[in-house]
Amino acid sequence: MRTLTGPAVATGVAAALAAVTALVALDDAGPAALARHAYLVPVAAAALRFGVLGGGFAAAGAGLLMAPVVLPEIERAGLTTEAIEGLVSLAGLAAFGTLVGAATTRARREVARYEALVAVRRAVAGAASLDAALGRLRAALARRLGADVALVAREGAGTLVAGGAGVAPGSAVARVLATGRPLFVADAGGGPRPRRAFVTPLVAEAAVIGALAVERAGELGRGERAAIEALGAHVGVALENARLAARQRRFAEELAEKVAGATARLAEIDRAKSAFVAIASHELRTPLTALQGFSELLALRRVAPEEVARFGRIMHGEARRLGRIVSDLLDLSRIEQGLAPALRRTTVDVPALVADVVEVLRRAAPAHPIEVDCPPGLPPLDADPDALERVLTNLVGNAVKYSPPGSLVSVRARRRGAGVALAVEDRGRGIPAAALGRVFEPYYRAPDAVPAARGAGIGLAVVKALVEAHGGTVYLESAPGVGTAVTVVLPGVSPA
Amino acid sequence: MWALEQPCPERPAPLLADTPAALLAALGGAALVVAALVAGGWLPGAALAVTGVAAGHGALLATALAWALGGRTLPGAVVVSLLAPAALAARSHPLGLVAYAGPPLWVARLAARGQLGALGLGDRVPVRRVAEGAALGALLGGHLLVSASLTLGVGIAARPAGEFLGALAYDAGANVLAAECFFRGALFGRAQRRWSAAAAAAVSTAAYVLRYLVDPLLPKGVELLVGAVFYLSCLGAVNCWLLRRSGSLLPGLASALGFFAAWRLLDAP
Repeated sequence: MRTLTGPAVATGVAAALAAVTALVALDDAGPAALARHAYLVPVAAAALRFGVLGGGFAAAGAGLLMAPVVLPEIERAGLTTEAIEGLVSLAGLAAFGTLVGAATTRARREVARYEALVAVRRAVAGAASLDAALGRLRAALARRLGADVALVAREGAGTLVAGGAGVAPGSAVARVLATGRPLFVADAGGGPRPRRAFVTPLVAEAAVIGALAVERAGELGRGERAAIEALGAHVGVALENARLAARQRRFAEELAEKVAGATARLAEIDRAKSAFVAIASHELRTPLTALQGFSELLALRRVAPEEVARFGRIMHGEARRLGRIVSDLLDLSRIEQGLAPALRRTTVDVPALVADVVEVLRRAAPAHPIEVDCPPGLPPLDADPDALERVLTNLVGNAVKYSPPGSLVSVRARRRGAGVALAVEDRGRGIPAAALGRVFEPYYRAPDAVPAARGAGIGLAVVKALVEAHGGTVYLESAPGVGTAVTVVLPGVSPA
Repeated sequence: MWALEQPCPERPAPLLADTPAALLAALGGAALVVAALVAGGWLPGAALAVTGVAAGHGALLATALAWALGGRTLPGAVVVSLLAPAALAARSHPLGLVAYAGPPLWVARLAARGQLGALGLGDRVPVRRVAEGAALGALLGGHLLVSASLTLGVGIAARPAGEFLGALAYDAGANVLAAECFFRGALFGRAQRRWSAAAAAAVSTAAYVLRYLVDPLLPKGVELLVGAVFYLSCLGAVNCWLLRRSGSLLPGLASALGFFAAWRLLDAP
């Protein structure tokens, strides 16, 4: 029946009614003509094709066509048996057409309802985002319902809208979102055939998560509105599932990114540690080899007193160097455990400390002029002198290591509030901008620093830990090809 | 979409909003006065017929126009002023029925300006739908003639052509025009913006039938009354469907004109 077009079926029904009427009119039995039962065929066809309206109109048409046969009989002879049979046939046709049509309409609605549910499930399955799910749902529902459809979903503080630009304040959708109750509007604009609008809330876990709006130029009867409201419940659940799935996918992607990042970082740290172990071994072996060599010479040979003193100074210097390396390693270990370096604080005179450190480094690197600028009147610091010496030795040693021979290295001290700002500047290769944020990380060396000079990548990390343990700050400015300036700000002695 | 973009009214305007109460009161008062004068013998009986046409059909048309034009009374007053002389002219002279062209021309002028869209009267004529309406009206009218002949023995009246044409002119210029504009264009149009189309059609058709039941020109007799109620109900329901389907009042006008043409052929008392 569905394969025949509506006009074709209507024409067929009309022709059948006319044919049966002709048969009834030609039959001498009048209202009781057997042919009258044939009216059931076109009425049934109309009911099955067009539902309750078709069955009703076809029955009414059959009644109108049969009336000129029945009514004259009643007028002529009263309510005879034949007349009663004719009237019963008329009533039976009306009931049959209406009931069959109503059953057909109800069955089609049930089928449409289940098809709509399947369409809803299919629309949200596999949608990458809530936006995509909304768009697919709206298109599926518009096809199923044969109406204009808009879907609104709450997302955080805003709303996502499929089928419109946005939700205007005071609109029917805005009202439903606020009240959580369905709203039917019988006059939503339109010309002689008004548009009906029905908006139902989408609910998930007792909260209004959105709204489904259906508009049509035509009827939106009570039964259909109830069906849309029930569909809205399913759409709400489906949307919430789509939202959760999208959130889960985002979470999984973020987690995968973080895991990949962490894995890469761990691999980098592992590589750095391996490199550090190799370099640290070499750094430790160098002074140990010197100590071993010179101590063997003293043990096995007779050495002139002035040579003994010289060997002693060299061994002392190497022992101190070994001590600094071990202290750095111990401090690094404490940093990695989240502990602050151990400090033995006392009052420290900054110019004297700077002068001692620079004197040692000038002897170690005679090719680099080191300029000192420490004006008088600098406040004393409450600090560990050994820690400060290691900070300055690291900073000035880096400046010498990463600048060309003959280039100036400056050490400048200035009052900064109640404390002192110590700046070490060089005119060396500089640090690339991409590496600036990581230079204070343990084991990290800027990519272009690796071939320039040997190092374990722990110096600046130790500097930062020691300065911060004193309550100070350290920051670095650098430009490739220009040079680097590291500034350490340390607090002064607190007033008693 | 309207539900997203337009403000939602708290409740619809009353069904009878924009009714030209003052004009209706004036028409009612005028009819009562004329009736009293005719009863007292100061005016001939034809005066009451003329006043009845102008007041009765004028009230329906004026209300329909006021509802479509946001309460404006002047167009309704104009149509009443066209109906009264038309009714008088038609009774006075055979060619006077031409005066019944006035009200339809006035309504057509307003429709051409796009002012009667709410009644289903625009500047476009859906020719195919009008033909369908005329065919439906002719079918119903034909059924009336056959049924009346077979059931009640009422045949086709042998009337002079002028009388038949006069009746048709009256239908076109007053009866059908006023009834379709008000009961379908205005009342059904408003009612279906509040209730379902079926409920609106029921209200409109019931009011339509009631209008004719109180019409003094309706033939008396139980069988005729029952038949009138039946056919007018069918006509009213069909015309509601035609308006809803086509969006234009013209198919319903054609349908009603076809039916009433058949009605005028009946040799009813």
